[in-house]
Amino acid sequence: MKRLLAAGGALALLAVTLTGCSGGGSGSSCQNKIMHSDATQVSMWAWYPNFKPVVNLFNKTHKKVQICWTNAGAGNDEYTKFSTAIQAGSGAPDVVMLESEVVPSYIADGSIVNLSTLGADKLKDNYSEGAWSDESKGGDVYAIPVDGGPVGMLYRKDLFDKYGLTVPTTWDEFAADAQKLKDAGAKTLMTDFPGNGRAYQTALFAQAGSEPFELTGKTDMKVDLDDQASNKVLSYWNDLVQKKLVGTEDASTTDYNTHLVNGTYASVIAAAWLPGYLQGFTGADKSAQWRVAPVPQWDPANPVQINIGGSAFAVSNQAKDKKAAATVAEGIFGTEAAWKLGIEKAALFPLWKPILESDYFKEKAYDFFGGQQINKDVFLTAATEYKGFQFSPFQNLVYDKLTDAVNATNKGKQQPAQALAGYQKAVVSYAKQQGYKVTE
Amino acid sequence: MTAADTTADTTIAVTRGAGRGKQTPAGRTGRSAPRRRALAIPHIILAAFIVYFALPFWWLIVASTKSQQSLFDGKTSPLWFASHFDLFANISALFNYSGGLYARWLGNSFLYAIAGGLGATVVSVLAGYGFAQYAFRGRRAFFAIVLGSVMVPATVLVIPLFVMMSAAHLTNTVWAMILPSMLNPFAVYLMKVYSDEAIPAEMIDAARVDGAGELRVFGRVALPLLRPAIVTVLLLSIVGTWNNFFLPLVMFSNPQLFPITVGLGALQSQAQVNTGGQALWNLVITGAFLSIIPLVVSFLTLQRYWQGGLSIGSVK
Amino acid sequence: MAQTAVTAPPLAAMSRSGRRRGDVVSRRRARWGWAFTAPFAVILLVFLIVPLVFAFVLSLQNTTLAGGTSWVGFANYIKAFTDPLFLSGVWTVVLFSIVLIPIQMVVSLIAALLLDALTSRFARFSRLMIFVPYAVPAVIGALMWGFLYSPSFGPAQEVFGWIGLTAPDFFADQNVFGSLVNIVTWQWAGYYMIILYAALQGVDPTIYEAARVDGASAFQTAVRIKIPMIASSLVLILVFALIGTLQFFNEPQMLRGMASGSITSHYTPNIYAYTVAFSYHQFNYASAIAFALGIVIFVGSYVFMFATRKRSGLMK
Repeated sequence: MKRLLAAGGALALLAVTLTGCSGGGSGSSCQNKIMHSDATQVSMWAWYPNFKPVVNLFNKTHKKVQICWTNAGAGNDEYTKFSTAIQAGSGAPDVVMLESEVVPSYIADGSIVNLSTLGADKLKDNYSEGAWSDESKGGDVYAIPVDGGPVGMLYRKDLFDKYGLTVPTTWDEFAADAQKLKDAGAKTLMTDFPGNGRAYQTALFAQAGSEPFELTGKTDMKVDLDDQASNKVLSYWNDLVQKKLVGTEDASTTDYNTHLVNGTYASVIAAAWLPGYLQGFTGADKSAQWRVAPVPQWDPANPVQINIGGSAFAVSNQAKDKKAAATVAEGIFGTEAAWKLGIEKAALFPLWKPILESDYFKEKAYDFFGGQQINKDVFLTAATEYKGFQFSPFQNLVYDKLTDAVNATNKGKQQPAQALAGYQKAVVSYAKQQGYKVTE
Repeated sequence: MTAADTTADTTIAVTRGAGRGKQTPAGRTGRSAPRRRALAIPHIILAAFIVYFALPFWWLIVASTKSQQSLFDGKTSPLWFASHFDLFANISALFNYSGGLYARWLGNSFLYAIAGGLGATVVSVLAGYGFAQYAFRGRRAFFAIVLGSVMVPATVLVIPLFVMMSAAHLTNTVWAMILPSMLNPFAVYLMKVYSDEAIPAEMIDAARVDGAGELRVFGRVALPLLRPAIVTVLLLSIVGTWNNFFLPLVMFSNPQLFPITVGLGALQSQAQVNTGGQALWNLVITGAFLSIIPLVVSFLTLQRYWQGGLSIGSVK
Repeated sequence: MAQTAVTAPPLAAMSRSGRRRGDVVSRRRARWGWAFTAPFAVILLVFLIVPLVFAFVLSLQNTTLAGGTSWVGFANYIKAFTDPLFLSGVWTVVLFSIVLIPIQMVVSLIAALLLDALTSRFARFSRLMIFVPYAVPAVIGALMWGFLYSPSFGPAQEVFGWIGLTAPDFFADQNVFGSLVNIVTWQWAGYYMIILYAALQGVDPTIYEAARVDGASAFQTAVRIKIPMIASSLVLILVFALIGTLQFFNEPQMLRGMASGSITSHYTPNIYAYTVAFSYHQFNYASAIAFALGIVIFVGSYVFMFATRKRSGLMK
């Protein structure tokens, strides 16, 4: 046993050396270098890929403020930590990366501060109306938009050619193409309608005119999740699902990845960030020829653009120097040099107009799409015409209930109207428990 | 299923009188043909068990030799190697990921498991001995609390623990992981039951009559007798800390401090939301493969010690 | 020191050390009892009792987004025990206990009996292989099985093909339960097997001698003699397996991302508590749910121990 203990002690020593002097001190937790050590330090959580050069660029060019960046986890992992830290009253970073859909939740519980009071309104003209309003409440902005998810239709040109499909511009044509694929006996489905595609479905409902939430004052709230538009859209998709013209597997799984690139689906309705993701899986099907077209419309005379995902930087209520924190949130992606890194290395879709509308971005050709200038062709229009969407102050719950509803209809357990009514009822009851005066 | 499973080990220490190299009925029989046929069936069942328990490991080994592309293209069987052997490419990509974070996570896991495991063992041995050898006021109630704490769901403790650690400025330090890991009620229970059985009262009394103080009695008489159980408790505590996920998930926001469990979880969610077109799934798989090697190897080499706690009767 | 008692009854063991009592000496010794248990007492207090009280206070309050924080007494508990989502989660884990625990027990018992009866090198190798999944952290195990269950990516199609079947969709509503049972069995059966094996090794082999003379087969010996001899170990394992299963969390939480339709955000009570706390930011209600689960666990394990008290000696 002595030998065992000795070995244990040696291992512990080794571990201590390996981990170095990692105890304590916020300074040691940065994943980047602090270049001006006497400047005010602002801690930041973000999970963008290849983010370090962007932070370094900021620190190089700012003498008075330095960013101490940490990747505290992607999406929910980060939110779990952020919420716990807010609840505990300490431990939150000064600046935090949030997806637009959770921003209203953090506004509602006071976790993030009103940036308009810190002078952020001067930046408003740098962003599209929709992008800005997604991060705002009552005319005040709470987070600075970074990247967006304007939606287009990615499709397999080779498969479309093979089965003689024309690129659909309306949802009716989309459904007709789906039928054609089946009639031709193709193994390929038109697309997937995933049970966990909550953000996707919310955007599709919005395209038909659904505006489920309206927040007026502190406690008044409109909830309208089973409106006509949502019913129309869910019925449309459920029809395709029941006819087995589209798939229903969960998104963001390894299987889904495989199916996206191996020709299981002829098209994907997706945000501008998906191509960057797909690139990691290229080569699976050498014959694949990807192209992008605008998202199909209900009324081609009055096209409506939608958005899925996208993120922003907010300042937490625990920030010691809120002014400096706001400087970071505003400035980190406020230069062309930073954006070139973001676009080239992280495949982000910029919301910052000076780069969004630049010729560089407009004319950028993408190898993945056979050299197509996808921004000029599709995503720029989608981004600039997007009008914004009001999420609820408890969007995670809303999404969970939507997941239940969509799974119920996908599996044929409920009719769309019934599922949406249940969705509405569950959300209204939760809102009332939270003390909101709800109008339906 | 987490903490409670550790508990079941208590039986190990209380199991006595083994290790006599006993002859089993089957083993005692000769080598005649019908007997051998009788032995075939149990061996076939065991072989089926091995396939069931080992197949996932085989898959993991094979998958970690594939590039992201060949993982997903479906050209080779998931249970056989692809034409191109990418294990070393994966390992080097893994150790280069984000400035060598992976090595850091492994080192952290070692540190937490060994520091937390040693701490838990010391505390538990003392407490178990105290419970067993001294009749002090409040002992019964105290021990009942120890047993009852098994039933507390971990979710209930996380937020208060975070708040306390945060107030003490200990979140995002190694102590946030090491200190709570020293709480191991099962180990106390194990040591208490074992001390009851393994330390004869006459020996303790004799030592006292010889004028030995309580500490001396503990150090010279009790400790050597407790040795097998101590090793078992140490191994259990180390494995328990190594496998912990929930506590470090909440306590650490700094990835430099993640243990391997949380680090791999983070790598996986990064792979899921990844927008930069990096290949990460092959790193997740290779990372999972490498991360289980230390514990598996220690299980294989320390088998003797796992059984040390099992065959206690042979000590005396 | 030949022992016939396979498992010392833990609480019964308590009474044994009441043996030295009476004089000043023993009072001084009592102080030593506290001294030995003090480090553990401190850790228990700081990392369990205080957080628990804290969480209990949280559960008596309510914070709403629009209304702020107020004291509500036991309203959160009334809400929990009438909340269909919580109750459906409780029902799910009860079902798991009914299905999963017997399967685990049967697998580990068969393995332990076989290994006890066989002395071949192959048997020793199998013991190791069956035990090794315990070395894999639950989170990484679930991550691995997520890959293994994948229809296009995992080996399931191939493995089922060996015996002429097509693999089911492991994430479909009707299958996900079985998929989870499988993961847990794979991960923990070896651990239980080792404990039972140790108990079997502790049985005095002369007992079998009589049976052999009476002409009992190996199978009859196992069923009629061996299993009853280790009944108390079995019961103890069952209690801890029950507590662990009622707290079911890691595996379903890891699979949720792949089976959103079958594993909801309230699939088990612990997942529900986690969702309510970290996804909905309702820390008060989450605390109440976690405590309510604690009550369910307490009642469940108490009833079980009471029902089996004769076998286990866990209660007097």
